[in-house]
Amino acid sequence: MIRVLFFGPVAERVGSSEIQVTFATGMRLQDLHRQMQGMYPAAFEIVCFTAMNGEHVRDMQLPVSDNSEVVFMSKFSGG
Amino acid sequence: MNGRTTKAEVRIQQEDFSQDEEISALRASSKRMGGIATFIGCARDFSEGRSVAKISFDAYGSMAEAEMKKLRAEAIARFTLLDARIVHRVGVVGAGEQIVFIAAGAEHRAPALQACHWLIDELKLRVPIWKKEITPEGESWVTSHP
Repeated sequence: MIRVLFFGPVAERVGSSEIQVTFATGMRLQDLHRQMQGMYPAAFEIVCFTAMNGEHVRDMQLPVSDNSEVVFMSKFSGG
Repeated sequence: MNGRTTKAEVRIQQEDFSQDEEISALRASSKRMGGIATFIGCARDFSEGRSVAKISFDAYGSMAEAEMKKLRAEAIARFTLLDARIVHRVGVVGAGEQIVFIAAGAEHRAPALQACHWLIDELKLRVPIWKKEITPEGESWVTSHP
C-alpha cells in the first residue's frame, strides 16, 4: 500500500488527511498524481509540490515503492 | 545540575517560546560570537482588509523539522555562523502572539544579519507549513508568503 498524505488547504479540499492507495508494480509518481487528480480535482488545482518519504521530489517519473509515503502539497505559508 | 533543560536548536512546537531562553542558548554555544541577529514572526490581527482573531497552522511535521534542520546546517555553512536556532509554532496562535523565531550568531554582524534574513526567506519557501486565518467572517488558508 502507498500512504498518501494531505495537509492544510489540500487536506480540506480532499476532505481527509490520509488515504491508502494500492501499490502496483511499475507505478511512478506521475501515475499516482494522475490517479489522485482524477479523484480530487479541486484539491489538485492547488497542488504544486510533491514529497516522497519526507523528501521534496521534482522528477515525477520516479518509481514509487510499496509502503512509500507520498504527500501532494500546496504552496507553503509558514513563518 | 542547574535545573535547565537544553532545548533542541530546531523545533516545531505548539507552545510559545521565550526569545530570552533561545538567545541564551545560542550565546552559550560560543564565546566568540560578536553578532547575533534575530527574527520573530508574529500573528497580525489584520490581513487583507479584515480582522484576524487567530491563525491555525498545519504542518507536515517530520518533513518540516527535517527541512528546518537542513536550513540551519546550510546557513551555518553558507554564512560561517557559529550557531543558529529555529523554532516554529503549530496549532492555533492568537493575534499578537509569536509564531516563529530565528537566531543567527556569527563572529561579526554582517553574516549574522544576512543569515537571519536568508533563513526566514528560505523557511517560507521550503518548509511544509500552512497557515489559516480565522476571522469573524470565516476561515481561509493563506496562499501567499510576502
